[in-house]
Amino acid sequence: MVEYSCLIVEDSPMMRQLLVFALARVKNLRVTEADDGVDGLRKLASARYDIIVTDINMPIMDGLKLVKRVRSDPMHKDTPIVIITTEGSQEDRQRALQLGANAYITKPIQAPQVIATVKELLKIE
Amino acid sequence: MSSQRRKSDDPPPDLRAERDQFLQNFMKGGRLTEDFIAEYERVRVQLATLESENAQLRTKVEEDSAMRELLEKIEALETEKRDLLSRTKQAEAVSNEFSVRFEEVETEFSNLANLFVASNQLHASLSPRGVMRRVKEVLAQLVGAERYAIYLSEPERHVLVPVASEGVRGEELSPVPASDGAIGRAFAQGKAAVDDEIRSCEGSVGRPAAIVPLTVDDQVVGVIAVFATLSQKTKFDTIDFELFKLLGQHAAAALVSASLFAQAGRKMPGLEAFLDLSV
Repeated sequence: MVEYSCLIVEDSPMMRQLLVFALARVKNLRVTEADDGVDGLRKLASARYDIIVTDINMPIMDGLKLVKRVRSDPMHKDTPIVIITTEGSQEDRQRALQLGANAYITKPIQAPQVIATVKELLKIE
Repeated sequence: MSSQRRKSDDPPPDLRAERDQFLQNFMKGGRLTEDFIAEYERVRVQLATLESENAQLRTKVEEDSAMRELLEKIEALETEKRDLLSRTKQAEAVSNEFSVRFEEVETEFSNLANLFVASNQLHASLSPRGVMRRVKEVLAQLVGAERYAIYLSEPERHVLVPVASEGVRGEELSPVPASDGAIGRAFAQGKAAVDDEIRSCEGSVGRPAAIVPLTVDDQVVGVIAVFATLSQKTKFDTIDFELFKLLGQHAAAALVSASLFAQAGRKMPGLEAFLDLSV
């Protein structure tokens, strides 16, 4: 049985909890949480992940910087990245996609949309 | 002599008659035989014709029978096809029903998760600032509120004072009467008010899209006024009303608890405070 791992990078505890709740519905998906971009990079340095879900607006290191750093890391350069943005931040979304993010989810997040996006990128039926 | 011989050759009349009779009979027999042979020939030809016709008829009957069998088989196959189509339609209907139900359950689960997370987060902090941050997160991330303010009651002045806000300039907010206007009425009546006549994203400070009374132990202590939602959210859903209810019942209680805890120097009450709780 294939097991997947997902790293959630989100500074808001509530959003993190919501994402964890949503992704708990995906079978064989192990979820790890990071508080911000720096914490995310620390966790990415110590383990391999199959997918990264990250917020854009975060203190210390935002999602755009994280996407850039991840894409320049040989170990995670091909890891799918899903960014979470607000409807108004179209520029950030475009920038993230240009930097190598694979998909985006708009706030307020809906669990079915999160699940569908992650499943699609991981090619899970 | 010759006349005698002629006489002797000449058969007696009775014999002649008998001979003539015999000859007649013979001739008759011959004709009958010829007739019989002719009749036999005719009957034989007729028989052959009939046999031929019979064979043709049999072939035709066999062909008709084969055709009938084929038609019956086609009919049976048509019936089977109709049956299969009917069963396929039934299966599709059941499948669609399952899909719809699955989506409903997924949405229900998502809504319950949102309520659980909101409730969990509201009580996850014991600092007034932390509670307020979480209230604002629930409003922004779960309800999709873009512009909103939280008012608390000041009974002495009989006004509601804005204590926190988002997306609104400071000068736009001021204390409002506790019984007048949309905000004051919602506070006085203790009932949530949603303006159905405007799209929730088009509300304003003067005309909030939704107003939610905040209660502590059945006493209304303030309101949350959602002036406008994010542009992509044009109306409130069932889950939003559930979130309003949850915020109305828990936000103020969490704020009051956190404020009391802060006032007490973040000290936990002694054990004696819990001794008389048994009912």
